[in-house]
Amino acid sequence: MTHDIRKSIKALSLAAAAALLLMPLSAMAQTAPTQSSASGGDRWLHVRVVSTGNKGETVRVNVPLELAEKVLPAINKDRLHNGKITIDRGDMGEIDCRALLNALKDTKDGEFVTVQAHDSDVKVSKQGGYMLVHVVEKRWTEGKDGKETKDAKSTEKSHIEVKVPMKVVEALFSGGKDELDVLAALRALSAHGGDTELVSVKDEENTVRVWLDSKSSAD
Amino acid sequence: MILAKLALGAVGTLAFATVYTFREGTIRVDVDEHRAGGSHVHFWVPAAAVPAALHFVPDDKLQQAVERSDEFMPIALAVVDGLKKYPDAEFVRVDSEDEHVRVSVKDGKIYVDVQDHGDDVHVAVPVSTIKDVLQNIADRKHAQ
Repeated sequence: MTHDIRKSIKALSLAAAAALLLMPLSAMAQTAPTQSSASGGDRWLHVRVVSTGNKGETVRVNVPLELAEKVLPAINKDRLHNGKITIDRGDMGEIDCRALLNALKDTKDGEFVTVQAHDSDVKVSKQGGYMLVHVVEKRWTEGKDGKETKDAKSTEKSHIEVKVPMKVVEALFSGGKDELDVLAALRALSAHGGDTELVSVKDEENTVRVWLDSKSSAD
Repeated sequence: MILAKLALGAVGTLAFATVYTFREGTIRVDVDEHRAGGSHVHFWVPAAAVPAALHFVPDDKLQQAVERSDEFMPIALAVVDGLKKYPDAEFVRVDSEDEHVRVSVKDGKIYVDVQDHGDDVHVAVPVSTIKDVLQNIADRKHAQ
């Protein structure tokens, strides 16, 4: 009888061991295609903030655009509903963004807005299917009394570069009159091929980068 | 011979229960406060036990989650469903002199690792378990 028990336990142990050994393989077989598809066609939005303050903080956020596209319509709070943000007319003043965009869409590449003010320079242009925004914040040298000296020179306080594909801008304004279609913009961004540096901000303490590529890691 | 069959049945059940339990993975929670009198909590729970255990949780203990489920459920389900496609990915990483935070997914588990001024918190939960919990909350909401 003990021989029977021993034989049964042996057979059972072998079966259990085989099941345990084969399970990771079957799990891998299930996940392998999704992994390869995830790395193959997916577009990732990366945000990196490097602060050189006393704690030297670095923040890295990596979001797959497809995941963002799925989650965004599920958020229905305040002004965000079904992937669209309702704009308060007061926020835009008298500016008709849609008319502005239509005008921008049909014009050739070039610089459209150039503002050279005392404390900042702003340039908005269109180039190679992208809308470019370039902002430089200036700092002026001050005298001992805290007032700017006559021969004061300006230095760069912060530098902002924004580069957005025109198709994304168009998609953003493709919704209703008083709304921004963020979901459509995300889809357009997702369909946009190649690696793209979207936003770059650099000031004395912080460097911010927002870019798009097909890698899941920011490094 | 009857004894042998009984033993076979018992061992078989145990073996398959073990295999089933570990197939779903485990939930791990590790908390270490590295200071005098600091607490140290380490435990793991087989993830397969969670859906069954949830049926025994009294309604009043999950009442707040059930009441607020309309707010978070669509978002949570969208995130959990979406995460299936990314079995290995790092979503958030914050590093500073004395603080480190990492939110990642590896082998179908969500990992949250926090090191803050010498205190360590590490949590690992299978994505499927989170979905089971959400489903249980949704079922309770429908039952109301």
